[in-house]
Amino acid sequence: MIKPRLLFIILLIFYLLIIVKLFQLQVLNPASTHTTYLKTNRIPPERGKIYDRNSQPLAVNRPSFLLYIEPKKIEDASEFVKKIDAILQLGEASLASKIDKTKNWVAVQSGLDKDKKQRLLEFKLKGLGFEDRFQRYYPESSLAAHLLGFVGKDVQGEDVGYFGVEGYFNKDLTGLPGIIKSDRDLLGRPILIGTQQKLDPENGRDLYLTIDESVQETVKKKLQTGIERYKAKEGCILVTNPQTLEMLALTCLPDFDLDRYYLFSEEFFRNPAISNLYEPGSTFKPFIMAAALDNKSVQPDDFYDEKGPVEIGGYTIKTWNNKYEGQISMTGIIEKSSNVGMVYVGERLGYKNIYSYLKKYGFGQATGIDLQGEADGYLKEEFAWYPIDFATVSFGQGIAVTPIQMVRAFASLINGGKLLKPFVVQKISSGNEEKSIDSKIERKTISAKTSEMIKKMLHSAVENGEVRWAKPKGYQIAGKTGTAQIPIEGHYDPTKTVASFVGFAPVSDPKFLALVILREPQTSPWGSETAAPLFFEVAKELLVYYNIAPE
Amino acid sequence: MKSLTKYFIWFIFAILLTGNVFIFLNSIKLSDEINHFEKETKNLHQENLNIENKIYEVDSLQYAASMASELDFTQKAEPVYLENLKYAKSQ
Repeated sequence: MIKPRLLFIILLIFYLLIIVKLFQLQVLNPASTHTTYLKTNRIPPERGKIYDRNSQPLAVNRPSFLLYIEPKKIEDASEFVKKIDAILQLGEASLASKIDKTKNWVAVQSGLDKDKKQRLLEFKLKGLGFEDRFQRYYPESSLAAHLLGFVGKDVQGEDVGYFGVEGYFNKDLTGLPGIIKSDRDLLGRPILIGTQQKLDPENGRDLYLTIDESVQETVKKKLQTGIERYKAKEGCILVTNPQTLEMLALTCLPDFDLDRYYLFSEEFFRNPAISNLYEPGSTFKPFIMAAALDNKSVQPDDFYDEKGPVEIGGYTIKTWNNKYEGQISMTGIIEKSSNVGMVYVGERLGYKNIYSYLKKYGFGQATGIDLQGEADGYLKEEFAWYPIDFATVSFGQGIAVTPIQMVRAFASLINGGKLLKPFVVQKISSGNEEKSIDSKIERKTISAKTSEMIKKMLHSAVENGEVRWAKPKGYQIAGKTGTAQIPIEGHYDPTKTVASFVGFAPVSDPKFLALVILREPQTSPWGSETAAPLFFEVAKELLVYYNIAPE
Repeated sequence: MKSLTKYFIWFIFAILLTGNVFIFLNSIKLSDEINHFEKETKNLHQENLNIENKIYEVDSLQYAASMASELDFTQKAEPVYLENLKYAKSQ
């Protein structure tokens, strides 16, 4: 009789112990139980890819891993540090400082590849773990560094795009993370009767640019050669379709290495094509001439008697070579790039009209291009303009513009007067959904008739200008040179210039418009001797690439 | 009658016990499979991305340029059409 009782009592005590333990786990301390079995993991979304106009990849993703440690689980810290440092080579002291026993989780290094992960796993160390991540991979290296921007981290350590397309379209590219809630046993296997919830991540949207990878590569190579040849400090080339204002290539040098962006300072990340202001110099003359033609203030075959320098508000304005032609036509003023002639044209147009056309061309306001970091430009309020300002603006001094503003306004001169919004992303794709982005006309600047007149003048400027360039034979190419002195401490330094050339081809139906800018070229300060030859080299390549037949 | 009921209860109990053990073992097996396929899917996805990136690399202009320079194709690829228009016109 005693034996069954004893057995009964033992069983009762056993059951009571189980009940007490269950009470402790489920009632007194439910949170710890929950966290022990329920694993909640964030599933990172894949960042959207970036392709060129022909679906060639410019920025894609590759798998990478974040190495983290759980200091409380580490048994022998010194051995742990030695082994990890043998692979990562971060420095033993720096690794040891991360082993803070009061913390549960410490991130050590992100961007690890599969090989390193495998080698670390072979050590079978306790307290070591990996999180799956993605890292940007650029098949074309830094071909379009300024255009693309880069992916860095925000304060929470999350991926975020900075500058260029990565910055402008960060929300579209990022996507939404997914979440997995799963009850797991000690071996990490799902407990089927427990919680099993999964919310799939929504990957970022893919972007298709208007940029043509081949054109971009050609243009970048030419710019690199040009900068070395003319010993310029920096340079930019922008190529666009003037009928739509989709950017075909946009490159500025020096730029930065996309894979190792953290080695560069912020000044390298700014895209000078949209962020830097410069005085356009003579490339600005066609705008004032077109405005005067459009306003019927002058006609292409009108003549001006260019006798010598002119005095405006106490300042003397001369031609670039201090030579004066006497009777000179309006076309001649553009051909010879006469500052004095342009002052006359500006006066005929009238101060109010000059200001109103500058506004129409969009100077002093951002173009709205879909790239992060665009500057507004600089256009003083009308009341702050003195007569000398109206005189100097007629030949492109005393006004600061961004290269992209220049391209937008110049395109309107040659496409019949349509001021368009420049853009670099032509399609956004998300799964089966696609959103196309088309060119957008903002307003008319000049009439189609004026556009034809100014095109002829610009063609004449190339054919009969002061300098004979090595032009591709059989093609009609038009354009204008520019040399602007750089203002330093309130005066212009004649030794430091911004040399530029803006041109297009073919004249009858322009297929491309290109702006070449070289800052402080050392071999010659003149745009005609530096930027212009570089433009014609680029034009030669583009004519072949676009299969444009000689006329 | 009593013993029949007793046997029946034992029989039900045995079936329930066997069923439970069977379900338990199966759930462990299924959990293992889920775990295995989760890892496999992740690995496949990563491998797929790696292969995709290799294709992109081989298809890139940078790779073409390095191959061209290795094979000495650079000079020959320079277009001559614009200096010698007969090439362009004969196309």
